[in-house]
Amino acid sequence: VILRPRHVRTRLTLWYVGVLSAVLALYAAFTLVFLYLSLREGLDRGLDAEFERVEDILTEASDGSIRMGGHDEGESLVEVWSPDGGLLFRSPQLEGQALGDAGSAGSGRGFTSITTPSGRPLRVLSHRHRLGQREVFMRVAISEEPLRHEWRELGVGLLVGLPLAIAIAGLGGHWLATRALAPIDDMARHAERLTADTLGERLPVENSEDELAHLARVFNLALARIEESFARLRRFTADVSHELRTPLTAIRSVGEVGLAERRNENEYRETIGSILEEADRLTVMVDTLLSLSRADAGEVKLDLKPVDLVALAGDVAAHLAVLAEEKAQRLDVEAAGPAVVAADRLVLRQALVNVVDNAIKYSPPGSRVRVVVRENGAASRIEVVDEGPGIAPEHRERIFERFYRVDAARSRERGGAGLGLSLAKWAMTAHGGRIEVESADGRGSTFRLSFPRAGTPGVPPAR
Amino acid sequence: MQILVVEDEAKVARALEEGLGREGYAVTVARTGEEGYYLLDTRTFDLVVLDLMLPGRNGLEILATLRGRDRGIPVLILTARDAVPDRVTGLDSGADDYLVKPFAFPELLARIRALLRRGRTEPVTRLNVADLEMDVLARRVTRAGKALELTSREFELLEYLLRNRGRVVSREMLVRDVWKETRRATPLDNVIDVHIARLRRKIDDHSEAKLIHTVRGVGFAVKEDA
Repeated sequence: VILRPRHVRTRLTLWYVGVLSAVLALYAAFTLVFLYLSLREGLDRGLDAEFERVEDILTEASDGSIRMGGHDEGESLVEVWSPDGGLLFRSPQLEGQALGDAGSAGSGRGFTSITTPSGRPLRVLSHRHRLGQREVFMRVAISEEPLRHEWRELGVGLLVGLPLAIAIAGLGGHWLATRALAPIDDMARHAERLTADTLGERLPVENSEDELAHLARVFNLALARIEESFARLRRFTADVSHELRTPLTAIRSVGEVGLAERRNENEYRETIGSILEEADRLTVMVDTLLSLSRADAGEVKLDLKPVDLVALAGDVAAHLAVLAEEKAQRLDVEAAGPAVVAADRLVLRQALVNVVDNAIKYSPPGSRVRVVVRENGAASRIEVVDEGPGIAPEHRERIFERFYRVDAARSRERGGAGLGLSLAKWAMTAHGGRIEVESADGRGSTFRLSFPRAGTPGVPPAR
Repeated sequence: MQILVVEDEAKVARALEEGLGREGYAVTVARTGEEGYYLLDTRTFDLVVLDLMLPGRNGLEILATLRGRDRGIPVLILTARDAVPDRVTGLDSGADDYLVKPFAFPELLARIRALLRRGRTEPVTRLNVADLEMDVLARRVTRAGKALELTSREFELLEYLLRNRGRVVSREMLVRDVWKETRRATPLDNVIDVHIARLRRKIDDHSEAKLIHTVRGVGFAVKEDA
């Protein structure tokens, strides 16, 4: 198992150094081979010239012995053999050392490299040669020493230079990798420091399009979303505490006042009943909050089945008709024909109940509330149209927020906790639809619940 | 009727003891799971009211052991957790019914009555209180011999109140048993109020003796006097 370094920059550097070493080693090997071959070629050409020169200055004496003429006799390394293997001449510089054995004298041809017994590297050219009347075998040699020296020098140079180059490149690579990855370290440090209180901080984003800037931007977006949900949670917690405080205050003061003096039985009954009413209100509120939090957590699985919006509207209208009757309002359902959507009937029904109940609640006695089911090619809609006072523009966006009430005191008196419309909104969003409000001040409001036609209802969103 | 209440919360335990005692049940309270387990081992009860969250021995464990040797005794679970998996676990381990805290007392009484009555209910087709009479089959209601015109919802509501004559009926019970809704919501509370008001107009408005009573903060009751 290969040890895996902990840091990306180390891994990058190691890979980089490894690849570079392999490439450079290959390069050095090729260079050395090529240089050796090319040096030897030069040497061989020199040897050829030397051979020719020696040929010219070799003479046969009358006694059959061979001499070397010319003044440079002392530098040439020459052997001359008779065809039968007798040594005819050998340069004194060879000091009696052979350039090859006698046995191969007749057959050996061409270039060979030898090392003399005294350790001298020589390049030898062997050739048959006619000398006077005789066929002789000649060997001429020159030293390989300069070639080997030059080659060795290069070898040493490469051996020392390459590791040095690799080391420098490695350090440079490590430095570059560290520098390139520094923003990631920054991000990690930033993320480590994150707490609920520092969510507002953002990573600096360099004005570029590279991967790291992209990462920083994505990181910042994630932070923004987390910050937003934290803020929502804080607001929600504060709202809940506030809403719980109202009935708790009532329970406490009613109880305290009730105990303050001796009362008759009926008065005690009133006091206890009043406390129970508040407890009941708390129970309903906690239940509603629980279902909202389940919805938030995505725990509510929609049971999607074909639901006819007209039938649903009729059912809801029948359910709430008595409330309208009490206020002498007309509650009408209008529809051109059936409009079927895939929906969870119970969830959708609760949403519509909340909206229609609101319409009845806020419309004056004697007015008319219409539940209109419309269908065109693109969408199916239920519109709840009332003739109430309308909703002022500043409230329109916020009425779907939890606990938001246009008129808090009045709404609480009617038993509302400001959660009905936010439940309706959740229900519509979970179905992939929308809920919107249209209102002209003083001329009623229209709540529009729209479904994408025949579209696949969306997965409940996380909020 | 012997009822064992296994409940660790002191106030709730005392309220249960007193409330059930007032209804004529003999109540024994165990404040820990161990105690409840011991009592179940040594004595015989007609019904167990079991809190799921207990110190010592978990309510579900008690239930499992109990079901391991006595199948017959009805068990009503009280739980603060109304998450669905918990309910399923409770019912799977052999509970006969459950109530989510906080519960309405009339509802607890109704559930206990239903569990004790189980398997031996004879259908009653004629109901009455004072001079108010209902023929369930003929769907006829008379007060002092005079026929009353009721809508079908009003009829069902009155029938339910009459079947629980003399006892308080909570909104939760009406939501579940008369309106057949799965959960209580503010609009529905208002609908119930309107129906009660209408029923009252038809039944009590022309009579000296009021029969439909509102028990403030608890629910409604049909009985002869306040």
